[in-house]
Amino acid sequence: MLQLVLFNVFNGLIVGAFYALMALGLSLILNLSGVINFAHGGFLALGAYIAYSLMPLVGFWGALLVAPLLTAVLGLAVERVLIRRVYGRDPLYSLLLTFGLAYILEDLARYIWGAQSVPYPIPEALARPLSTQFFFLTGYRLFMVALVALAVAALFFVLGRTRLGMRIRAGTLDLETVSALGVNVRVLRNLNFGLGIYLAGLAGVLAAGMLGLQPTIGTSLIMPSFVAIVVGGLGSLPGTLLGGLLIGVASGLATVFMPSASEAIIYVMMGLVLLVRPRGLLGEEGRLK
Amino acid sequence: MSDADRPAAPGRRNVLRAALAASAANLAPPFILSARGEQPVRIGLANPLTGTYAAVGKNELAGCELAISQINAKGGILGRQVELLSEDSTSGDAGTAVQKSRKLIERDKVDFLLGNVNSALGLAMAQVSNEKGILHIVPGGHTDAITGATCHWNVFRVCNSTQMEANAAAQQLVEKAGRKWYYITPDYAYGHTLQAALEQAAVKVGASKVGADLSPLGTTDFSSYLIKAQAANPDVILFLIQGDDMVNALKQAVQFGLDKRTHLAGAQQELESLEGLPPEARIGAWVFEWYWKQPGVPHVAEFVEAIRKKTGKVPTARTWFGFVSTWSCALAAAAAKSLDAVKMAKALSGMKMPPEVGLVPDQAFYRAEDHQFIASLFVGTAQAGGSDPEDLFNVTRVARGVDVAGRVEDSPCKLVWPS
Repeated sequence: MLQLVLFNVFNGLIVGAFYALMALGLSLILNLSGVINFAHGGFLALGAYIAYSLMPLVGFWGALLVAPLLTAVLGLAVERVLIRRVYGRDPLYSLLLTFGLAYILEDLARYIWGAQSVPYPIPEALARPLSTQFFFLTGYRLFMVALVALAVAALFFVLGRTRLGMRIRAGTLDLETVSALGVNVRVLRNLNFGLGIYLAGLAGVLAAGMLGLQPTIGTSLIMPSFVAIVVGGLGSLPGTLLGGLLIGVASGLATVFMPSASEAIIYVMMGLVLLVRPRGLLGEEGRLK
Repeated sequence: MSDADRPAAPGRRNVLRAALAASAANLAPPFILSARGEQPVRIGLANPLTGTYAAVGKNELAGCELAISQINAKGGILGRQVELLSEDSTSGDAGTAVQKSRKLIERDKVDFLLGNVNSALGLAMAQVSNEKGILHIVPGGHTDAITGATCHWNVFRVCNSTQMEANAAAQQLVEKAGRKWYYITPDYAYGHTLQAALEQAAVKVGASKVGADLSPLGTTDFSSYLIKAQAANPDVILFLIQGDDMVNALKQAVQFGLDKRTHLAGAQQELESLEGLPPEARIGAWVFEWYWKQPGVPHVAEFVEAIRKKTGKVPTARTWFGFVSTWSCALAAAAAKSLDAVKMAKALSGMKMPPEVGLVPDQAFYRAEDHQFIASLFVGTAQAGGSDPEDLFNVTRVARGVDVAGRVEDSPCKLVWPS
């Protein structure tokens, strides 16, 4: 029993790392632009399918590199044409817009690549467990966690050490002042959205190697990411990371004791956090206007 | 700018001509002489075209469409042409399915209702069709209740009940996989009844349950389930989940190398799921409800050819469900010589299917007592690829529907006909 619990905690961390990757992208966009991007799952699916189409041409590694970038370019275009128009309006507008966009993207994937799952092969070397004892620790999953860690490190580096990152952080706190200081806020938000969508695309490519690739792949992964943000604390990227890991572990542990509640548990967690500490675990007080 | 550079304007005369042609087309007598200005017979289909079950829903639709074109080529229903009206019921929203069914019946005045892939949606639709007194055929919703506890005089079901699937699968599981079974079961009507039926069948073949977990529909990450199942040290992990869930779970199980430590198998498996899996994960002992490779069975090759021409792929069990359901409408009307729902339902009760509709080795028929379609089930193992890239299942035994359907006396179904 103890072993089962330990296994599931460990496994939950792996799963949670993946949720965190998705949630970080969502969080970036939410923090700077105040847009809750429901279409994040759609971009995730698109990233995965682009990789699927590219794979015969550039191989697994090439697709992993190129597909998220292409998805990000698509994100930049969508922000420029659609999302930009709802900044500063009632949140309902952005909610409706991205909600509709989510459906459009899902159906677009269905129209182009078909409704049925397609096989997404991964390199032979990654496709097997590393030890017989810890059979859930496959090469691919380890690689995924490493990549998530790398992406998170890179993200925090960009935010913490570069001019762009500084502006994003400043804009998150007070966009008007940043704008008054001569920073082009339009470009800033555009790039920030692209960065968020890049993370969605990356998560999509990674998910496709582990799960079945179907048009609904993003829809089923989006809710845990929202929960991760709320649990971790709105406005805090480290909080989002923590939230992702926590719900991964909680969901895994629920499977040990009451599997049918493995989905509900993350919402229970969210409810508890909202009751006891409404700003989230690492959220700053008064951040939510 | 010369005239030649200018884009061709429609021109007054051309517009007038087009208008005249359009009105003439409206006035022209209908192409079918026998129709004599009558409305076409309408078949309404409310089935998933989006969501988890979109792929299987679309295959059922393709089967329906092929049947419609065949029926029309043979003179239609009672001499009238047939038209299919298809609506997206969504994959899991019973409210939408009911609303679309009402629209088909009340506004479009369909003579027949078809659907649904999702058992729960099928049950909800059956309530509507029964209230409205419309002949309703459920192509692919498996839960027992549709032809069991909540059966109706006007509702017929083509796919097998979960009980039939369990009975067909049990013997092979013991032979190929062993006696200690661990269930991973989807947490809704279909999964619950399938697991119960398998537990019952297990008693007869001497197998036992070492554990079972319910997974919410749409679960993506099955790693924690697999860890728990493996810890119970079973001979076989039974995957009762379907669709995308099946693909997700099997793919992860094979990446974990569980196929080398225990058996991975189950009852119902579908070509749609196997096609979505990488070759190394196309493994395990399963039951197919229909398979496109049936050497020596008449008319199957023609059916496969027709669907291949239409969709570019071989038919699946889903295509066959849609095909049989639609043909059943035409056969019922022809036998009853009427579109009256009660007369047609009476005619369809106990009706034997002609071989070009049945497309199975055994004589297929609708059981009169509960309106369950009884055909053949295909027991065998999944394979990475056979003689054909789409040959992903190796049939080892064909189970007769009558042998696995259970005794009709034991069925909780009591049909009540309108007086």
